[in-house]
Amino acid sequence: MKKMMTDTILEINGLCKKYPGFLLDNVSFSLRRGRIMGLIGRNGAGKTTTLKSIFNLVHPDRGEIRIFGLTMPENEREIKSRIGYAAGSADCYKRKKIRDIVSVTKSFYESWDDDAYRKYLRAFDIDEGKTPVQLSQGMQVKLSLTVAMSHHAELLILDEPTSGLDPVSRAELLDALLFLKDKGVSILYSTHITSDLEKCADEITYIVRGKLVASDSIGNFVSHNNMAGRGNTIEDIMISFEKESLYEKIAD
Amino acid sequence: MKKLLIKEFRLAASPLSFVFIAAALMTMLPGYPILMSAFFICLGLFYSFLNAREMNDVLYTVMLPVGKHDFVRAKYMFAVLIQTAGFLICAALTAIRMTILAGSSPYVNNSLMNATPVYLAFVLLVFASFNVIFIGGFFRTAYKIGMPFILFGIVSLILISVAESLPHFPGLEFLKNPAGERPEIQFAILACSVAAYCAATAMSLKKSEERFEKIDL
Repeated sequence: MKKMMTDTILEINGLCKKYPGFLLDNVSFSLRRGRIMGLIGRNGAGKTTTLKSIFNLVHPDRGEIRIFGLTMPENEREIKSRIGYAAGSADCYKRKKIRDIVSVTKSFYESWDDDAYRKYLRAFDIDEGKTPVQLSQGMQVKLSLTVAMSHHAELLILDEPTSGLDPVSRAELLDALLFLKDKGVSILYSTHITSDLEKCADEITYIVRGKLVASDSIGNFVSHNNMAGRGNTIEDIMISFEKESLYEKIAD
Repeated sequence: MKKLLIKEFRLAASPLSFVFIAAALMTMLPGYPILMSAFFICLGLFYSFLNAREMNDVLYTVMLPVGKHDFVRAKYMFAVLIQTAGFLICAALTAIRMTILAGSSPYVNNSLMNATPVYLAFVLLVFASFNVIFIGGFFRTAYKIGMPFILFGIVSLILISVAESLPHFPGLEFLKNPAGERPEIQFAILACSVAAYCAATAMSLKKSEERFEKIDL
């Protein structure tokens, strides 16, 4: 399989998806190779819908998503073979041994690297004889990362991977993300723990109630909003935006 | 597809799906509605769908580098393989009952359906109804399995009742003969049911592929 190489790994244009009581409205952003992007917003803002759209798990009403310059569903197999996914915990086959899950999983990836897999298992201190349910939440995220890195994923999509982790585990995970970034992996990382982003993200995409507020470098995002009087940290800016929304709602 | 099928056997399948293939041995029971064997084999398959749902198999699989329609095909193929194993056992035992044991008194005096080609035809119709009603119903949502199984249960019990009633209708008494009287008619019915099973399963698969492609997971 010949891979299409492009500097823009992920490109989302005019993404719209309507659910009863919720509209993801015209969301557009892009992610370049070797960059970490934080996707932030409150619970229910549209982060997960955006991530699911990338994986073709939900069908957008409008808009286009290009991954490695390719579109789904025509190139579903190639795209998915180059993407890794990790959520806050490993939700699948929680009571099967990791060894059994991985032996099935790896058969789907032509690029699977057993040496890399063994290396990451040792680095993260993961015991293959355990089941995911026997691992702590932080270890479950590391297991997902191990699998993604073992098939040399070029794009990692992480859905709130640090939620519920203690500060040390979070710091370890952020180190792992920076290590992957150095290896040229692009990472799209949804979270509402904004302090994590300040430590590792290059760019930020902020969604408020289904609408894109900003998609920019962290520096630009903070400085623009600081000048607008919304604070000088991502958290302050986020609170400022969400408070405005609440005031508007009350005023209505 | 082979890899997905291996995944079905190694991760998604419930051991009960394999254990319940042994329900085909009910074919040997006299004085028992032996078509229940087909229902129990399908019940075993139901447990695999239940197990897969509890293990988040849909999410795991759609994240793999496979097409969504491959996921649907693997589920159908797994069901067809289990059903084929059950059917082959039923067929072998039917052959034994129709030949070596044809004169055995429990079968000669059996008040319920005997194992004949028509019995095998109904086994396939029960399997076909499972593939259409249960698996087809499951792929409407990819998580709801209760109502599709209740509907399948109702239809399969109607099919079993019809099969048990047929020999009591005038002119159809030959269906009860343990040696398989009028084999040309019985095998013609079996051939028709094989065709019906294949057609129903293929149509259900196609419909499920279309439905699964449209579902928001």
